[in-house]
Amino acid sequence: MPDALKAEGITVRFGGVVAVDNVSLSLQPKGILGLIGPNGAGKTTLFNAVTGFVPMDSGKVRFFDRDVSSEPPYKRAQAGMGRTFQTERPFEELTVLENVLVSAFLKEPRRKDAEKLAMEMLKRVELDDRYDQPAGDLNLARRRRLELAKALAIQPRVLFLDEVMAGLNPPALREMIGLVRRLSQEGLAILMVEHIMEAIIELSDHVIVLASGQKIAEGTPQEVTSNTQVIEAYLGTE
Amino acid sequence: MAELVSLLQNLSNGLLIGGVYAMIGVGLTLIFGVMRTINFAHGDFVVMGMYTAFVFNMILGWDPYFSLLVALPAGFLMGVLLERVVLAPIVDKPHETSLLATLGISLIIGNALLLIFGGESKSVHVDYASMALSLGEVKISVILLIAGGVTALVIGGLYLLLHYTEFGRSIRATAENRLGAELVGINTRRIQGAVFGLGMMLAMTAGVALIPLLFATPTATGPILTLKAFVVIVLGGLGRVGAAVAGGLVLGMVEVMGAAYIASAYRDAYGLLFFLIILLFKPEGLFGRSVKRV
Amino acid sequence: MIRHLIGLLVLLVAGLVYPWIFPSALTVGVTILLFAGWATAWDILGGWAGQVSLGHASFVGIGAYFVAIGATEYALAPWWSILMAIAVAALLSLAWGRLTFKLHGPYFTLSTIAIAEILRLIAINEDWLTGGATGVFIDWMPTPFGIDLFAREAQYYLALVFAVGVMATIIWISRSRFGYQLRAVREDENSAMAAGIDPTRTKLKAFMLSASLTAVGGGIYGMMLSFLEPHILFYLLLSVQIALTGIIGGRGTIWGPLVGAVLLVSAGEIFRTSFAEANLLIYGILILLVILFLPSGIIGEFNRRLTRRLYARRAQG
Ligand SMILES: Nc1ncnc2c1ncn2[C@@H]1O[C@H](COP(=O)(O)OP(=O)(O)OP(=O)(O)O)[C@@H](O)[C@H]1O
Ligand SMILES: [Mg+2]
Repeated sequence: MPDALKAEGITVRFGGVVAVDNVSLSLQPKGILGLIGPNGAGKTTLFNAVTGFVPMDSGKVRFFDRDVSSEPPYKRAQAGMGRTFQTERPFEELTVLENVLVSAFLKEPRRKDAEKLAMEMLKRVELDDRYDQPAGDLNLARRRRLELAKALAIQPRVLFLDEVMAGLNPPALREMIGLVRRLSQEGLAILMVEHIMEAIIELSDHVIVLASGQKIAEGTPQEVTSNTQVIEAYLGTE
Repeated sequence: MAELVSLLQNLSNGLLIGGVYAMIGVGLTLIFGVMRTINFAHGDFVVMGMYTAFVFNMILGWDPYFSLLVALPAGFLMGVLLERVVLAPIVDKPHETSLLATLGISLIIGNALLLIFGGESKSVHVDYASMALSLGEVKISVILLIAGGVTALVIGGLYLLLHYTEFGRSIRATAENRLGAELVGINTRRIQGAVFGLGMMLAMTAGVALIPLLFATPTATGPILTLKAFVVIVLGGLGRVGAAVAGGLVLGMVEVMGAAYIASAYRDAYGLLFFLIILLFKPEGLFGRSVKRV
Repeated sequence: MIRHLIGLLVLLVAGLVYPWIFPSALTVGVTILLFAGWATAWDILGGWAGQVSLGHASFVGIGAYFVAIGATEYALAPWWSILMAIAVAALLSLAWGRLTFKLHGPYFTLSTIAIAEILRLIAINEDWLTGGATGVFIDWMPTPFGIDLFAREAQYYLALVFAVGVMATIIWISRSRFGYQLRAVREDENSAMAAGIDPTRTKLKAFMLSASLTAVGGGIYGMMLSFLEPHILFYLLLSVQIALTGIIGGRGTIWGPLVGAVLLVSAGEIFRTSFAEANLLIYGILILLVILFLPSGIIGEFNRRLTRRLYARRAQG
């Protein structure tokens, strides 16, 4: 079985800034890969490069047995990359259900089926009781869950989560951790960017640490958290 | 030889017409620079300037330029008022909103003029209309020359205002970085009102300079001039006064040369075609530094 | 959905009885129906896909001119000319959109004005194509089943079919996958792409559909005018009228453009005596009022409140 995702030598520059510098990563089917690093390390940029939202200056992205390096983001989504946005962007004018429906239509062209799928996804993230509320009215924690429901509704093969836990209160955090674990157990491969160490340690089976665009360490959560270079990187900038 | 003469003739016409376009464009670009508003009513303000000159000429026999005494303060006040009532409440809305709002203002001005003055075209005859200076065989229209001189004067004055007064520095600061300007204590809302008023003054001045040259028709002339002004500022590079001058001169040249050497019926189309090409392939304008796209 | 289909039925019935009640105001009726159809078609691109065009008069002109030139030069029946106009409008909008959809917001709008103006200049100057600035006079129409297509009544029913057809299309779109793709692209292109939607393709489809439907109405308009002048048919102010009808009624809503058309055309009629040709004054005043006080348009604002109220009621009870 090939890797679910294999990125090699990804480099992204913004003007003079090298936001991501020659980073490689791979993700096993069903695995959870954690991506950590201080603010501005380039995590979101790497994530955007892999999902196609930011053009790469060099590098290659393989998704299962397909080279998607030059494909636009919507093709990668069609191929099964489901993602959330760090600053969540619900379609404010649409209701909660309609938001998810947009994604559900990707695999279910018929309205009835799409609606059923969307409702299932809302149940998963426990937003089904608010299906007819305008999405612009949701609070932060619910917007996060809506983001997740939208990403799930395209029925992805790999899920990309950009800080979905940030800003949640402890019970909401526990719920989210539980949800991500269940998704993984159901067979989804997951790449997650997260600042919350508790979540990273509990969930990921492999962790990559970025600082100033470079990969400075990788390994199991335990290996990484005891790595002195990593500790320095965090203490040095925060 | 005859070809050279006609080339020089076309060049000088293009340059002088371009000067007038520049004056229309400068006001529009100033407004865009500070407010990021695409002012669709700009041409209608030019037309109001034309009508002001027309009215004072008809009633009191004034020379068009004399009516600037009325047109300038009136333009400023109307600009400030419109900014306060219509544009200030929608600053945070998507950019289309201000385009549509100013489109509404344009319709109101054009149709109000139509109601008051009727549909037929208006112009003002001045004694120097048919005079021309001869430079060898090349003839230069005196009206265009005066208009060019006024443009140079106005733009020079504007340059001094923007660079050597406190008020001008505040305008430039607001255009450069609005939040930053607010942080150093500039009242950007007042600046916006003043800039809109200033833009209207410039438009009215252009109208006064144009009336001996161009017929004014209430609803038709405004949008055409607005479109030309857009062409001017996009050609030059959005939001910068110097670039608008360059853009005006380029548009004048393109139109005159296209009309002379390709087909005169498409005079207005050359500018538009050029405009599209710039918009699509060099959005920062011919002379622009790259600007953050809105 | 049921609600909308009932609405459509009401429109059809109202449209059918209108000639009996106002037999002397058929021209107003045709105008309302054409503007309702055009504004709804415009709204597919302007409202549902969020790309404000001020160039739709081009497609009106294409529809009208195909009917006129087809009839006078080639003795072609209007249904064939309208089919050709649809094809040409679709191809033109495809090229047009490919060129300009990389521009956003007001820049896109400005580019539509520029292209439409260039097309107008072509229509005025290319005599061999359009008969030039002097215009074309339609002197012949076929008489299918003995129907006189020059009669206002026949044109009225054609316009009714057109308006109802466009409304039915938008009702279908509002429920369909395509409709949700349009709204997603309008709200946020990045989020739309994350849902597997190709924004450019979606906008192109919207533009082509919008342009083709507009051309159909243009064909009927041509029959109604029977004398066509390029500087009127391709004119910016017609584009502006179409767009403002949609925006004032409510962008991206099913009934907004129809409401806008009824309101604006009848207001224009009522004030015609006092304002004469200055009746676009009303458009100017209304668009300002809508922008300042009802930013989603008349029906749009109504719908927003309705959605919130319905949710609040269900959440409580
Ligand atoms: N669109 C952009 N244009 C220019 N620079 C950018 C852009 N996006 C990100 N950057 C820069 O690239 C670097 C990496 O940013 P990125 O958002 O990827 O970091 P991050 O690791 O996700 O940070 P955070 O933890 O705060 O989300 C930063 O220096 C940032 O300023
Ligand atoms: Mg980030």
